[in-house]
Amino acid sequence: MRRIRKKLQALWRRRRLDRDLEDELRFHLEMKAEEGSSPLEARRSFGNPSALKEVCRDMWTFATFETWWRDIRYALRTLGRSPGFTAVAVIALALGIGADTAIFTIVNGAFSWDAGLDRIDRVVFLSTTDASHSQDFGASYPDFRDFRARVKSLSGLAAYSMIPANVSDSSGLPDRYWCVQMSANGFSVVGQKPLFGRDFTPADERPGAPPVLMLGHHVWQQRYGADPNILGKTVRVNEVPMTVIGVMPADRRFPEDTDLWTALVPDAARERRDNRSLMLFGRLADGARLASARTEVDTLARGLAAEYPDADKGLTAEVRPIIEITGLYSHRPILAAMFVAVGFVLLIACADVANMLLARGAARAREISIRVAIGAGRARIVRQLLMESVVLSLAGGFLGWLVALGGLRWFDAGTGAIAKPLWLHLSLDRTTFIYLAAISIGTGILFGMAPALRLARVDINSTIKDGGNGAAGGTRGLHLSNALVVLEMALCVVLMVGAGLLIRSATKLYGTPIGVDSSSVLTMRLNLPEAKYPRPADVVSFHYRLKTGLESLPGVEATALASNLPLGGWMDQNYELEGAAPDPARSPRIGAIVASSGYFRVMRLAPLRGRLFTDSDGLAGLPVVMVNQSFASKFWPGEDPLGKRLRLVWARAPQPWLTVVGMVPDVLQNFRRLLERDPLIYLPYQEEPERVVFVVSRTRVPPASLTQAFRREVQGLDENLPVYEVRTLGERIAQNRLAVGLFGAICSVFAVIALVLSSVGLYAVMAHAVSRRTQEIGIRMAMGGTARDILQMVFAQGMRPLAIGLAIGLVLALGVTRVLRIVLTGVSPFDTVTFLSVVLVLVLAGALGCAIPARRAIRVDPVAALRRD
Amino acid sequence: MGKEKPRPDGTLVQGTLDMLVLKTLTRGAMHGYGIAQSIQQISDEVLRVEEGSLYPALHRLELDGMIDSEWGQSTNNRRAKFYSLTSQGRKQLSKEAGEWKRLAEAIARVLETA
Repeated sequence: MRRIRKKLQALWRRRRLDRDLEDELRFHLEMKAEEGSSPLEARRSFGNPSALKEVCRDMWTFATFETWWRDIRYALRTLGRSPGFTAVAVIALALGIGADTAIFTIVNGAFSWDAGLDRIDRVVFLSTTDASHSQDFGASYPDFRDFRARVKSLSGLAAYSMIPANVSDSSGLPDRYWCVQMSANGFSVVGQKPLFGRDFTPADERPGAPPVLMLGHHVWQQRYGADPNILGKTVRVNEVPMTVIGVMPADRRFPEDTDLWTALVPDAARERRDNRSLMLFGRLADGARLASARTEVDTLARGLAAEYPDADKGLTAEVRPIIEITGLYSHRPILAAMFVAVGFVLLIACADVANMLLARGAARAREISIRVAIGAGRARIVRQLLMESVVLSLAGGFLGWLVALGGLRWFDAGTGAIAKPLWLHLSLDRTTFIYLAAISIGTGILFGMAPALRLARVDINSTIKDGGNGAAGGTRGLHLSNALVVLEMALCVVLMVGAGLLIRSATKLYGTPIGVDSSSVLTMRLNLPEAKYPRPADVVSFHYRLKTGLESLPGVEATALASNLPLGGWMDQNYELEGAAPDPARSPRIGAIVASSGYFRVMRLAPLRGRLFTDSDGLAGLPVVMVNQSFASKFWPGEDPLGKRLRLVWARAPQPWLTVVGMVPDVLQNFRRLLERDPLIYLPYQEEPERVVFVVSRTRVPPASLTQAFRREVQGLDENLPVYEVRTLGERIAQNRLAVGLFGAICSVFAVIALVLSSVGLYAVMAHAVSRRTQEIGIRMAMGGTARDILQMVFAQGMRPLAIGLAIGLVLALGVTRVLRIVLTGVSPFDTVTFLSVVLVLVLAGALGCAIPARRAIRVDPVAALRRD
Repeated sequence: MGKEKPRPDGTLVQGTLDMLVLKTLTRGAMHGYGIAQSIQQISDEVLRVEEGSLYPALHRLELDGMIDSEWGQSTNNRRAKFYSLTSQGRKQLSKEAGEWKRLAEAIARVLETA
């Protein structure tokens, strides 16, 4: 305390403190001189008076703060004196830090998702599988009831199923939402409570209970204008009137980003044990481990299989943490890869600036030597130099913040409202800011440390004497520079290979025809509620009237219905081929698309064999089916598919035989592997009238211009029926391909930055090396060396680190690109074309980086060079 | 006091110097040069006080309130900074001297017995 008071007092008398110190030491020296020793001798035994003065002075001042402040001012002055270097360094750092921060924001947002669930790591999904289904399948209500009653390792088990919901009431046009039917304990299992109103109670899930509805916050805000008196109002959901009992808080949309919740009531259909339509989630009991829950649940499932052999034959169950199933879990490797990639960009930027600092070091060696000579400690020198790098990196960080803002805006625009998960909020929040500040300072120390240490070790004597060629110019400095270039090149190779593969994927993807003519097609989706359209005939009649209405619109050429659109998947069906050995336990599955007769005309699909569906197919006469080319060549290779028969198998009951009447070319339907040509069958719409369908129309005018007309047409037929996803077919396809394009674009941006930075880095090192060797080059030329010799010398020196970097980078890339496999389409992670192009581009860039210094080298005037110094 | 634990080169270990400075100042206010001379003379030139250690020690002691300083006239009429002991410094000195004595005696006993 006393110290601080005295120091504060001294703060106001700074000038007097300096004078006093000066006087005190001078007095001492004078006394000493008078005692007989010569002034020189007195001074020698005294040591370094400046250093001593500084030690004493530091004691009286808030040394740390003040010297830091001095260092910062000094750093700013130094950097201001070489604006060119400063600008290049700050821009390089801003690109690196900005890109890194932007990706951090995205990855952090994606990884920290918890959907507002209480202790999300304890929440698990319970999925069941039975003998006739090869993959995860739903559970039935009786199974759910049994699991819930028997399981010990879960403290709660809830069930839900998700349905599209047409919401209509007096407060506006009908809207289409997703609604979760959930057992009453659902919210309490995940630890959520409504914002206001009440939670579901067991009374709500009793058969015959009055239907109740929970609103999502956004539905309450958007549809009901945040009406505070919403509780108790009646809302029609799929034509069933329901009473609003509560509103959930903002951003609470568990499960599956739903909009609405209603109680799951076990009606007669649900009471059937083979009606598997429920998803189950629960919470691990306190003290229970995931492994023990797994074992217990699987044992219970096998017990049920033994108990109810008819419905639950072969039942098995699996417990998985919810994080693995939802969120961006499946994208984690890609996100991690992006994070690593952007880390590489930052490292390259660091190596670049470090190299520039090393080159600058040569020029500064003299200044440093003088400072050391007059008493500056090495630690002070290192600190001063580090301060310069940190000031640089902080400036880079500040600019980088703007880069990150721009990058995120671009990402937001690129992903749009469709591809980006609803819960992913991208904003530069406090965490991001701390991260930005940390990497800014961290990079400053990272790239500044080696040059600073090198400079602080300068040999004072030789440097002051020979005018500053000694310091970083030594061979060791050159080794470090070369090592940095190798590092840059290696990282650059990895980035470029990654980007190259993604670009190749994208070009493959966009270059492959879908198989249909997607121009001038408008699509929309409808969902006819069972309450209002109970019989298939009602559905067919509505769709027929709609088709007639749409086709009478000017500009509409033809209209049709389909269950799935190109790149939009299919419906899985169990089936049997005629003549194949039947396997009742596990019948094979095939993708099926339900399409009305006009579908192929709208999509411009001509039959390769046989005919297309007609309006009467599926109504009367022989039941028919169409297949695509892949199906025919897979199951009937070399044979005529026409006249072959197959049948669907529903709940292990074979349906009537269907005769193949036509074969169409393959259309890309797979939305995961976008280039896959899957064997598919087409079923006539009248055979399978679907409630949820896409309406597709070929138009003679730009399709988007008909959006409002289409909506009006539907509303004219049923004013409570919402129309959703009114989009052109082109838009839909672009969306499905977005991931590859987006990752490709991001990675390409990184790769271009990396390439530019590494080339600049190589150039800086080469330029520095050439200028250092000017004298030597002069001598060589004077001795008769030709321009060719000089060129060879410079290129050999520049290409060596490049070649080593390339070799290391290629090996790294072979390991790293494996991660990209899940987004690569039609390109192997070891694609030769990509690897070769990367090598070529880098060698060219490297040659360019060497060419300019080399040109300067052969223009060296031997006489002038020899006279230097 | 020939056993004042000098280093081989006759400089003093840290802490010991503080104690000697305080002890020297019990004889009255003195400037830095005088303190160094005094210690050297009394120790028969065995202990050499280097300026590089003395002045940092003086300033540290002053900051800690062990000594006070005042500018005055030296015997040869020069402006000099005189240091004097504070009551806190006196307390510190008796504490350190006592501890030093105890330690020195203990070491001496060990050396004699062995």
